[in-house]
Amino acid sequence: MKVIELRGIRKSIGQEEILKGIDLSVQVGEFLAIVGASGSGKSSLLYIMGLLDKPTEGEVFFEGERVDFSEEKRLSELRNKKIGFVFQFHYLLPEFTLLENVMLPAIKLGMKKDEAEERAYELLNSLGLGGKERRRIYQISGGEMQRVAIARALINSPSAILADEPTGNLDSKNSQRVMEIFKEINRRGTTIVMVTHELELAEQAQRLVEIKDGAVLSDRAIQRA
Amino acid sequence: MNHVLFVALKMLLQRKRQTVVSILGVSMGVSAFIVMSSLMLGFQNYFIQQVIDLEPHIKVKPRVEEKEREPYTLLLGEKPEEKDRILGWQDMVKYIERNPEVLGVAPRLVSRGILKHGVRDKPITLLGIDPKREPKASIVEKFLVHKNLQRLETNRTGVIVGVLVGKSLGVDQPGKKLLLVAPNGRTLLVTVEDLFESGITNIDDARVYINIKTLQSLLERQGEVNEIIIKIRDVNRAEKLSRAFQSFIPYQVESWQRAYRNFLSIFKIQNTITYMIVFAILTVSAFGIFNIIMMTVLEKKKDIAILMAMGFNRGDILLIFMMEGFVIGVMGALIGSLAGFALQEYLESIKLDVEGLIRTRGFVLERTPLLYIYALFFSLFFALLASFYPSYRASRLNPVDIFRSQ
Ligand SMILES: Nc1ncnc2c1ncn2[C@@H]1O[C@H](COP(=O)(O)OP(=O)(O)OP(=O)(O)O)[C@@H](O)[C@H]1O
Ligand SMILES: [Mg+2]
Repeated sequence: MKVIELRGIRKSIGQEEILKGIDLSVQVGEFLAIVGASGSGKSSLLYIMGLLDKPTEGEVFFEGERVDFSEEKRLSELRNKKIGFVFQFHYLLPEFTLLENVMLPAIKLGMKKDEAEERAYELLNSLGLGGKERRRIYQISGGEMQRVAIARALINSPSAILADEPTGNLDSKNSQRVMEIFKEINRRGTTIVMVTHELELAEQAQRLVEIKDGAVLSDRAIQRA
Repeated sequence: MNHVLFVALKMLLQRKRQTVVSILGVSMGVSAFIVMSSLMLGFQNYFIQQVIDLEPHIKVKPRVEEKEREPYTLLLGEKPEEKDRILGWQDMVKYIERNPEVLGVAPRLVSRGILKHGVRDKPITLLGIDPKREPKASIVEKFLVHKNLQRLETNRTGVIVGVLVGKSLGVDQPGKKLLLVAPNGRTLLVTVEDLFESGITNIDDARVYINIKTLQSLLERQGEVNEIIIKIRDVNRAEKLSRAFQSFIPYQVESWQRAYRNFLSIFKIQNTITYMIVFAILTVSAFGIFNIIMMTVLEKKKDIAILMAMGFNRGDILLIFMMEGFVIGVMGALIGSLAGFALQEYLESIKLDVEGLIRTRGFVLERTPLLYIYALFFSLFFALLASFYPSYRASRLNPVDIFRSQ
């Protein structure tokens, strides 16, 4: 079963073609790492997989459903229910407490406030942020911010987590911690697609896709000793 | 809707000072609207009410050539015009009385004249009335200081003078004797039987009632009538009815609206000016609202992008930002209404002599709740209009562009 399937995806910005015909499927329960040089098109690819951006050409299937990129409401709904994003920057909202930040996608989904709050508590607690729920972003560290962002991505129990260099701003200790969280989430069945520069982290995934100049250069399973 | 409020309410707390200024701007527009409208409507409605009470609802009069003449040249010895009479008025009165919309009809003989008291004199409008019939067709008695209308019947040389006429002549009590000079030069010694106070300056300053018989003989116009006044059930129907009467009456039939059309059109101009002022105030506050939301949107691009990434759709984003305008509009309307109410209370409590088109003690305010409803409606309309464009811009942002530009 495929969570995401890309068929012949091309993306042009102005004259420049930044994705040049990509076919890629992500299986349910996979942990996929995408690597490539800066400017190779990794982020652009992830935006299309996450239904945030529409391809110039080609088709996207999400859990078997052909995605119609002109249906903005449906795209938003899929992003809300089925996809969790984690970016290099945490993008937490400064007006909200950590707890409220995590609750936002659940509130949008229509979950009751109490229930959303309870889930957010649980998630923050399980990510080592117990006791800091009422703090604001300027009262916690960078590593903690990124874990709050992960909790936010997880609250609606999405099918897939799409992460664009989630460790890009973290030191190696915090980076490894994020990796451990992702591995744990993945063990529980959530599909993970992670873009990264760091081969060391990428090799902890199950499958490695290398992008070069907007095309797939290699796609291999990672053997573990 | 919950998720929109959840985000909007937090974001509103940003830019506190500007938000407060905008709310105050809207409040000013709202309170200005409420106070100015209630003052104007109060004054206008009072004026119109007095006119309706004082003036015939419908008047039949000879078609005078509308030559503008100096009132004083007319006064001095000029002969009444041949045409200045209504022939067959008795039949006309009977005919009009038969109409079910008509409450009463009365004949009058109207002329100019001069009243003298000692060395003072005063040009006046003489209304020769039939004291028996007159009350059926006008509520003149309401404005009489001593309610002595019937004295005009018993005392054929009695007169009722407007308070301002009396004031110019130094007369403030019944019983004073005055000399009446008719346009034909004849004079008559008359006694003041009562004073008449309507509050409408130009009426109180000119009008003198006298028995129609007395006036007819003074002017040597026995049996003549040059005005028929008609009182009707629904004053708003005056114009329609007057047109209906006009079709079978060979004289000019004039409704009160027509007789007072100059005032009514001044009121229209007055209203337009007020609404323009209110419009200007609200426009300024609308720009304030526009500005706040536009700046918030520009500042919060990142937040908008992440909200979209987590599943908020364009409609949600639009509503989140319009909520700011909505809240400013509602708060402005609330505060403005309270301020307007307080100002109305204050204005009503002031006792002062207003002298102008009307004379009252203090301001006459029209205090209908409708004004508050209109104010809420206007302020919401302006606030939502002002917030729409920046909110729309926010909703059209492309999250990918924003993520890339980080
Ligand atoms: N708005 C834009 N206009 C034109 N070209 C753009 C625009 N945004 C991105 N590109 C180009 O698209 C290509 C792919 O960009 P993308 O951000 O997907 O690369 P990436 O692999 O994520 O790079 P990095 O590792 O630096 O994040 C780059 O060559 C970039 O210059
Ligand atoms: Mg990138």
